[in-house]
This record gives sequence, structure tokens and C-alpha cells, in this order.
Amino acid sequence: MIEVKNVSVKYKNIYGIKNASFKAQDGEIVGLIGADGAGKSSLLHAISGVISFEGEILYNNEPYHSPKEAEKFKKYIGLMPQGLGLVLYDFMSIKEHFDFFRDIRGIKKDIEYENRLLNMAGLEKFQNRLAGNLSGGMRQKLSLILTLLHRPKLLILDEPTTGVDPVSRLELWDIVNEMREQDNITALISTAYMQEAEKMDRVMLFDEGEIIASGKADELIKTAEPYTYSGELKYENCVSFNKRTYSLNKLDLPKAKPDLESLFFVNALQKKKELINIELKKEKENSSNEVVMKAEKLTKVFGNFVADDKIDMELRRGEILGLLGANGAGKTTFIKMLLGLYPIDGGKLTLLDKEIKSYKDRLELKSKIGYVSQRFALYDDMTVRENMNYFASMHKIPLLEANKKIKEYAKLLGFENYMDKFPKELPLGINQRFSIAVAILHDPVVLFLDEPTSGVDTIARSQFWKLVKELKEKMNMAILITTHYMSEAEYCDRVVLLKAGKKISDNTVENLHKKFPDAKNFEEIFIRLIK
Amino acid sequence: MKEFLTIIMKELMLFLRNVGLVIFVIYSFTLDIYTAGEGIKVTPQNVSIGYVDKTNSGLTTKILSHFHMPEFKPPKPYLNEKAMKKAIFNKEIMVGLSFDKKFEKTKQINVLIDATTASQAQITIIYLQNILLKFAKVDMPVRIKSHILFNQNANSKWFMSLSEMMSVIMMLGLILTAIVFVKEKERGTWDIMLLMPVDSKIIIFAKVISQIIILMVGTIVSVGVVLFLVFNVPMNGSFWLFILLTFLFMLSVSGIALFIAAISNSVMEVSQYTVLIMMPLLFLSGAWTPINSMLPIFQKMTIFSPLRYYIDGCESIFFRGSSFMDIWPDFVGVFVIGVVLFAYGFRKLGKLF
Repeated sequence: MIEVKNVSVKYKNIYGIKNASFKAQDGEIVGLIGADGAGKSSLLHAISGVISFEGEILYNNEPYHSPKEAEKFKKYIGLMPQGLGLVLYDFMSIKEHFDFFRDIRGIKKDIEYENRLLNMAGLEKFQNRLAGNLSGGMRQKLSLILTLLHRPKLLILDEPTTGVDPVSRLELWDIVNEMREQDNITALISTAYMQEAEKMDRVMLFDEGEIIASGKADELIKTAEPYTYSGELKYENCVSFNKRTYSLNKLDLPKAKPDLESLFFVNALQKKKELINIELKKEKENSSNEVVMKAEKLTKVFGNFVADDKIDMELRRGEILGLLGANGAGKTTFIKMLLGLYPIDGGKLTLLDKEIKSYKDRLELKSKIGYVSQRFALYDDMTVRENMNYFASMHKIPLLEANKKIKEYAKLLGFENYMDKFPKELPLGINQRFSIAVAILHDPVVLFLDEPTSGVDTIARSQFWKLVKELKEKMNMAILITTHYMSEAEYCDRVVLLKAGKKISDNTVENLHKKFPDAKNFEEIFIRLIK
Repeated sequence: MKEFLTIIMKELMLFLRNVGLVIFVIYSFTLDIYTAGEGIKVTPQNVSIGYVDKTNSGLTTKILSHFHMPEFKPPKPYLNEKAMKKAIFNKEIMVGLSFDKKFEKTKQINVLIDATTASQAQITIIYLQNILLKFAKVDMPVRIKSHILFNQNANSKWFMSLSEMMSVIMMLGLILTAIVFVKEKERGTWDIMLLMPVDSKIIIFAKVISQIIILMVGTIVSVGVVLFLVFNVPMNGSFWLFILLTFLFMLSVSGIALFIAAISNSVMEVSQYTVLIMMPLLFLSGAWTPINSMLPIFQKMTIFSPLRYYIDGCESIFFRGSSFMDIWPDFVGVFVIGVVLFAYGFRKLGKLF
């Protein structure tokens, strides 16, 4: 049994997590749900005894207050840190990993147990394969069984499923469940996927370094019921997202069934957080849905490895296309070909009916696309204004026009008060909108968004999707978005699904729902498509 | 052209905002060169001497009185050779002189030298021989009358500070130029840079030029403050000729830097490759050892070191007052190597665009 009492973790002057308290019984799976920087990792690391903290933690009623005191409990604790297979060494085989982890832990070889672990992970056939040659899902499964090698009683997993394909994700859960049933271990698991809450006995919701709610998932959801209404509408002191509207005051609207995400919206309303309403001006009457970008049999080969195999894709004006797939499915390579960053090894790419062939064509291509990279990488040492001026100048936008546009976007997207701040000082949500403003400064035909929502909190994510919709509707832009949150496919018009470099599905969201009428959510649809 | 200037301005601004890097560059161009000029000595200085005197003659005292400051510390007497050997072993003294009983007859001095400080030991022996020569009163058929040209006092500060400045220019040229590219890789802005609808040639050139501007300013400050003001280094030739040669040299250094930028993914790797590449170039440049005293094979290899031509050219301009016509081979050397290296580095990095 683990009990956490008023634990806080401080980084310089900022609290990573403040006054967290909870208990977990033997054989219980407790989930920690929240965005990046919400405090999940800080708390998990404090419990694992790898960082110093304030407060008290009791393991089976024996207390510890610092990493030093936690030392004697470490043999009962198994921590798997965040990141795909970060504990693995690329040039060591699975077998060598077992030998190595056994030796550094100082435990005796237990062939029966080790075979059981390998069996659970489905890795028994690949024991001589180097870790560097395993797929993302296999690496994560290997990391997990290596964490289990010393038979910990308390398993601490920090975002074990982020970036893992849906099938491997299920397999990871199977391993955890089996260990719980047979060995009665306690597991603390953090995740950014709300859908995984149903697999946990209890969940804790994290927001900005605080636990805002904890309990059984379905009970928690019930607490949001009084504030959840169906339909989306714009009204004072309300937030609406994904066919629901949340309000603390009574509204004359039919009620809707809330989900875990609803709790974050209700929390934001209760804390009176400022939520901006994004509304763009309708530029010109343009409702054509012509094809702006067309990929025919695009292929990319690295040595013997075919990263993308004859992929066809069409991108139309006023359409949000979701490009989905797990890590290593070929998403990034495909997007880099579309962006003109990689030369094309086979197939044809056309933009506005013009084939992209030479270096000059690619320069032309670059001037007509907007791109928001993962983590919104812009220049950290330049202020928001300087960044925007720099991009405007590079895109040859005349100075006066650029100034006008920068002012306009800053106002519309709500970051005009942050113009002289550095990107790092901005809240994630504002940083995201500013990155989008930079990407659309030169009126691109196509906007690429590369995993724009990973790690972003629920509220910022909802505002992001509203902005994307505005861009589509008001500016009639063609938008290509990649994501590994399968649930976000819901907000796209059409989705293309990649698996191991091949396109396995290209359909509208509506059609997919019709095709699998009994599927509970999109995640299920994808698992079936992949199988 | 507008994009070209925009990139240069951006890089200069980012440089100035990187306080740590600015301090490092200022330090390298001032204090580091000052320390090298003051600290590295080729003449004996403060050499500690010990002696064992068993003669009781006035001659030994006379000889010993010639070892004086600042070259030598006052000689220390020891009771016997054993004690003196021990003192050398313990690094208390560097040179030990032993005058035994038969000295008056044999005129033989036994000298013990700690050769772990090889160059100082060598020079000390030459000093010692010169001193003894005065006592020997040999009627030499030849008399040496030496005239030291260009650096009349054989001032090592002039030579060392100039050499160090050239090494600093090379080191910073490699690091700064490579870092402007690698930082984009490290910060995740590389793709954004590639996505600018601007020709890659313009991007690479602008970035390189921005760093050359920083280096040029640093060089001028360094020459003005450290060389001229502090060390009074003479400038016998044309200052502008020196600036032109420096610019050409920076281009060839940038070429190597582009190559380093192409193969490294982090600032850490840049510094590793820089050390790896800089060391042989320094050794084969004549900065530390005259080229004529190297092994024949190394002498041939110096042909490929741009630093060799740069050092030769600069020393000629500063001390000999050479004009362009005298040192045009150095210009050709720096220029040709510069073009080749830059073209290679440019192609290597350009492939990543």
C-alpha cells in the first residue's frame, strides 16, 4: 500500500506539483491523467524516490521524505520513465538487456519468470534481435518487462502509451492487468489519453500542478452532469466543444452526457479562467473545394527500408485531413516529402496543378505552404514580434502589409499583450496560436500541422481545434494535420491512416462510423482497420 | 537581397542575446591573447639553479654571479651532489652545477638538468656556455656580431600574442559558424529554416557572413587593444592587407565549419569535432614550431593547412612590413585552400537542405 501525504515538488520558484495526497491499495491501478507540465511526472518521480520533495510518502506504513530515505524501498518499486524505450540500449539484444538489468539489480536468474515476461510481451521469438531494430511498440513492451524483472510490488509507469500504436497499447495494458491479477502489484500509470481511464480502478485528474479531482472515473463524470448541455453555442460564461456546452449557470438547453474531458472544462469555469473566443474575419466568398495538393504513388526509400510505399493522397480547399499512424508508420517522412524537405524517390506531387520537380519548384512550393512544427519550434531568443517580423521578411511580405497583418492576427488570436515576450514565457495555448499566426502570415494554400496537440491540455486543445475550424471555414484553407491521438480524428473531415509505410485507409469520418456502427469510439475503429 | 540582410541581422541579434557566448568570444579575443603573450616564454625566466662548490676558489663565485634575475633565480648552495640530485628530483631546482675539487685544474663543470622542461633546459645550457666562454678567454678566430631583425629585442610577447590571436580566430571561426547551423538542429527550428522560400545558398552565405562580421570586429578590437595598446606590437606593413588576408582565411575556416555543421547534431559534437580538426591544423601551421624544423613528411603536409599561409603572411605584414608583392604566395595559398574547403563544406551542408 502506498500513501502520499501533502507532497510538493518545487523547481526553483515553480511548483511542479503542489500538496498532492492520495492512497493506493495493493492490487489497484491508479491513473494520473493530465497534460504535459500538469505535475504527473513530478509526482511519480517523487514517489519513485528519484527527486527530492516536500511532504511524506508511506510505503506499507513506513515513511520516507527524501530520495536517500527512499533507497531501501527501491527494490519494491519499478519505474519506467517517459519516452519510447529510453531505458534501452540500441546495440544490445533483448537477451543482453535481460542479463544487464539482472546484473545491475543484483538478482538471480529465474528462467521461468523471465520466460513468462517474454511470453506476455510476445518477444520470445526475437531474443537475439538488437533493441535498435525493434518497432516502437515492441520497444515499449520490452521496457515494461525489464521494469518488471525485479518483481516490483509498486509499478510506476510514466506515460507508457504515448506515441505507441493502438494495438501495442492494448498489449501493454494486458501485461499490466496480468501482473496485477497474478502478482497483486499496485500500478500508478500516467497518461494523456482520456480513453484509458476506463481501464483504471481510480483516476486522478491533474491541471497546472494540482489534482483537481480523484475517484472512480464514472463517478467523477457524474459530477459534471449538472453543467453539461448538448449543442454548441456562444454565450457568456460558457465553453463549448465537441457538441457540448458547459455552463455553471442554468441554461435552457437539453442536457448531454459528459465525459472525463468535461471535468477540465467545468474546472476551468469554476476557477474563472479566461477563455478567449476566436473568430476570424471571412476574407472572400470562396467556397470552392478544388484539389490543391495531390500526391500520386509517393515513395521514399532509405537504403533497404521503404519508409513510404506508393501513397496517394488528395488535399482539398476547405477540408481538414487527418494523417494518422503510430510512431514509425511513415507520417513524418510523408509530410516531409509534401513539404519539399525530402526529395521524392518515386511518384508525383502536384500543387495547384503544377508538378513539383526541380529545386525551384520546391522553393515555389515552400512559399505556398504554412507549417507548424511539433512543439511549435520558433526562435526562442527572439520576441513574438521579432519572430513574426523575421518570417514576414523571409516570405517577402512588404513591410507595411506585414505590420498590418501582424497586428490583426495578434488581436484576433488573442496574443497582442504578449508581443514583446519570448516564446518560452508564453502559456502553451498562446504559444500554439502564435505559431499558427506565423504559419499563416503569408496566406498559404495549405497548412500543415505536425502533432500540434500532443501534450497540450484539454482547454488549449479545444481552442486549438476551434481555431483550425475557423481557418477552414473562414479562409477556406486546406489543412493537413498529423496526430497520434486517435480520438482527434473525430474533428477531421477525412482521415488517411498509415501503417508501416502503406496507406491502409482513406475515408471520411462519417463513412467510417457507418462502416463500423457498433464501434464505441474512433480508437476501436482504428484497431479494427489495422487488424 | 532583403532576405540576405534579414538573416544576417537575425543571427547578429541572436549572438548578442547569447550572453555566455558573447563573454566567451570577448575573453578569447582579449584576456586569452594577453595571457598567451605574457605567459608563454621562450627565453629562460626564473630558472632555479643549485650548485655544489668544493673548490673554495673565487672563480666559482664569479661564474655564479652571472646567473641573475630575471632569467635566473639566485643560485642555491647544496652540501653534496646527492642532496642536489634530490632537489632536482623534487622539482626544487631545474639546473644543478657541480664544481668538484679538481675544478681549478680540469676546468670541468658537471651540469645536471631536469629535462622534463625540455626547451627551457636547452636554452639554459646555451646561456651557461656563453657565460663560460667569457671566462675561457679563448682567442677565437671568428667573432660573432649578431643583428636581430624585425624584432630587435627578440620580444616573445609580440610573437606569442600574434600567434595566439590567429589560433583564436581559427577556433572561433570553426565554433561560431558551425553553431549557427547546429543550434537550429538542436532547437528544432531546422525544418522551419528549410521551409523558408529562400534559396539555400542565400541562407548558408548569410549565416556564414554574419559570423565573419562578428569575427572581424573581434579581430580589430583584439589587434587594437591587446596587440597595439598592451604589447606595443609594431605594424610595419599595411593594416588593410592584414584585414584582407584575415577575411580570406576566415572563408576557408568557414568551409571547415560548414563541414562540421553538416556532420554534428549538437553543440557538444561541434566542440568535439572542432578540437579534433583544429589540433593537426595548428601543429602543421608553424604556430608553435618553425616549419623548417619539422619532419620532411610533416613539412609537405603543411601545404594543406590554411593557417600556415595565414601565419606566415601575418608575421610578414606585422614585423617585416612586407607588401602584397612580397607575400602573394600566402594570399594564393589561403585563397585556393579557402575556395576548395568552402566549396566542399557548402556542398556537404547544402545536401541537408
